[in-house]
Amino acid sequence: MNTPMDESEIQAMNNSFKILHERRRKLLDNDKTGKLKERVRGIREYSIDHLEELKVEAVEKLQSNGIEVVYAEDSKEALTAIYALVKDEKCIAKSKSNTASEIGLTDFLQDKDIDVVETDLGDRIVQFTEKKRSSHPIGPAAHLNLEEIAQVIREKFNREVKSDPQEILDMVRQDVLEEIAHCNVGITGANSLAAEDGSLVMVHNEGNISLVSLLDTHIVIVGIDKLVGTLEEAISVVKLETIYATGKTAPAYMNVVSSPSKTADIEQILLNGMYGASRVVVILLDNGRSEALKDSRETLLCIGCGSCIVTCPVYNVLGYQFGYDRHLGGRGVVFSRYVRDKEVCFESGLFTCTLCGQCTLDCPMEIPTNQLIEKLRSQSVKSGILHQKHEETARKIRKDGSPFSG
Amino acid sequence: MLYFRGCTVREKLPRIEMATKWILEKAHIEYRILDDEECCGSFLLRTGFTDDARDVMASAAEKLKGEKVIVSCAGCYNTLKNDYKDLLGVELDVIHTSTLFEQLIKDGAIKPKKLPVNVSYHDPCHLGRHSGEYDSPREVLKATANLVEMENIKENARCCGAGGGVKSAYPEVASKLAQRRITDALETEAEILVTSCSFCLVNLEGACQNPRGIRVMDLSEILLWALSD
Repeated sequence: MNTPMDESEIQAMNNSFKILHERRRKLLDNDKTGKLKERVRGIREYSIDHLEELKVEAVEKLQSNGIEVVYAEDSKEALTAIYALVKDEKCIAKSKSNTASEIGLTDFLQDKDIDVVETDLGDRIVQFTEKKRSSHPIGPAAHLNLEEIAQVIREKFNREVKSDPQEILDMVRQDVLEEIAHCNVGITGANSLAAEDGSLVMVHNEGNISLVSLLDTHIVIVGIDKLVGTLEEAISVVKLETIYATGKTAPAYMNVVSSPSKTADIEQILLNGMYGASRVVVILLDNGRSEALKDSRETLLCIGCGSCIVTCPVYNVLGYQFGYDRHLGGRGVVFSRYVRDKEVCFESGLFTCTLCGQCTLDCPMEIPTNQLIEKLRSQSVKSGILHQKHEETARKIRKDGSPFSG
Repeated sequence: MLYFRGCTVREKLPRIEMATKWILEKAHIEYRILDDEECCGSFLLRTGFTDDARDVMASAAEKLKGEKVIVSCAGCYNTLKNDYKDLLGVELDVIHTSTLFEQLIKDGAIKPKKLPVNVSYHDPCHLGRHSGEYDSPREVLKATANLVEMENIKENARCCGAGGGVKSAYPEVASKLAQRRITDALETEAEILVTSCSFCLVNLEGACQNPRGIRVMDLSEILLWALSD
């Protein structure tokens, strides 16, 4: 299994989850959320069933909007494409992105001596910690308490900091703003991609994506599982994601990027790069998603809200040890099979799920993760990747019809 | 009627078998037990040994077809009821003991007296979320004791941690989950935590070191207690 979390981290994470769960409880039970959930379910079902067409449509539309598109089959292709864009940079600014984390972008760039400035507060804090692991897709530092965070900041800035959330915020903001001033390239993910309009929708609360996306070049890494038809559909998806992830009906900000910054105010002559990015590049990433669609179709319905881990009994005691990278919990375990391979899937916790079905109940897309895990276990056992204890018990049952014999 | 005990009851928890037999006898229900009862296939199915599971299930199906089957274990129940249909296309006539007990009380075949104890009920995943049976065990408990509910119940019942092969492969994880469920029970006034799955029972009991001395019982055990003179 992955690196374990400390008891204090588990405790802090569960406290955060409890507050989140209480906050969203009423909202999840109301009829409007129910209707939105049904609508989004339809949107996601349609989208994954028409993924090939949406891919073609999105590439055409994005390009006709003036956005460059790189189609990356795997993380290597994505990293190569990004490196070609940033190789002359000393530092780049980045917002929170599970997809960027999936391809190992930060480590890759830092190995090439390109500094990565995480702009999300939680991400920035996690970046300063030794383990650099996040415990929730929207709240990456959910497992750290105030005192631990203050300590991380003290060590990083090598100065006295009170255990005061406002003081920590001020310090990190100041530092990030100073760093961003030296950056020409901003890298973000996208929460949804509307093929018909060639529009990328990004959700944030801190305003950091607005800053990052206004740099000279804006690179957007987005998995093909984020494709939907229209911009209205994309907005519905991110609204539902926000409700389930944060307990609020709308995030502070939704940015829609459909082209580079442009103006035609002088004799209708089209000029790029007025205040925003003069160049927008989309890295459209497959990285196993097409295979997942064939083999574990429903896993691609995911809208990334993280609701599945909040009440997962295994996640509640193991934390990010149960899951892969930022694809956390049982659904993340399933996804790791396709993003990586069978061995990584095993290591991520293929056999640590109790198959209880709670996540399916709490998932707005009702992804049947326990069934997908059962299927993957079957494949894993057939290829010889299994737990020794299970094999011993299976042998007893085969021999004597009971797991307790001999 | 055929009483299918399941491996855990048959070999590890004879007290559940005893309690169930007593109740069936008190209700004058004729039943038999297979001399060659074998695993239902649940463990194999959940841990990825699908081909082995099919073999075991096919052999069990031959013995159970055409019978009215009652089962003690929620895991066996879910497998016999749902997986035999999905995987083998065999529809078995199977009910869980909690459903039978509820019926027997309703029909007046058994008349439990209400015990002066507070009990809480842990929904096993296999009986609850996977089979949608939440009410029968509660009806039995309402007739036998004072039911005090935990916060997360029915479809939101926190898993005890035993299922899916986790208890055998990662016992420390199973035990941590069970401790959390015991903590849920300790937040109520319950003196006894009742469940209706032999696997949950073993796991919860193992995590039951608590200052208030809360005990874990199978539904059949508390019912038998309420039927004792």
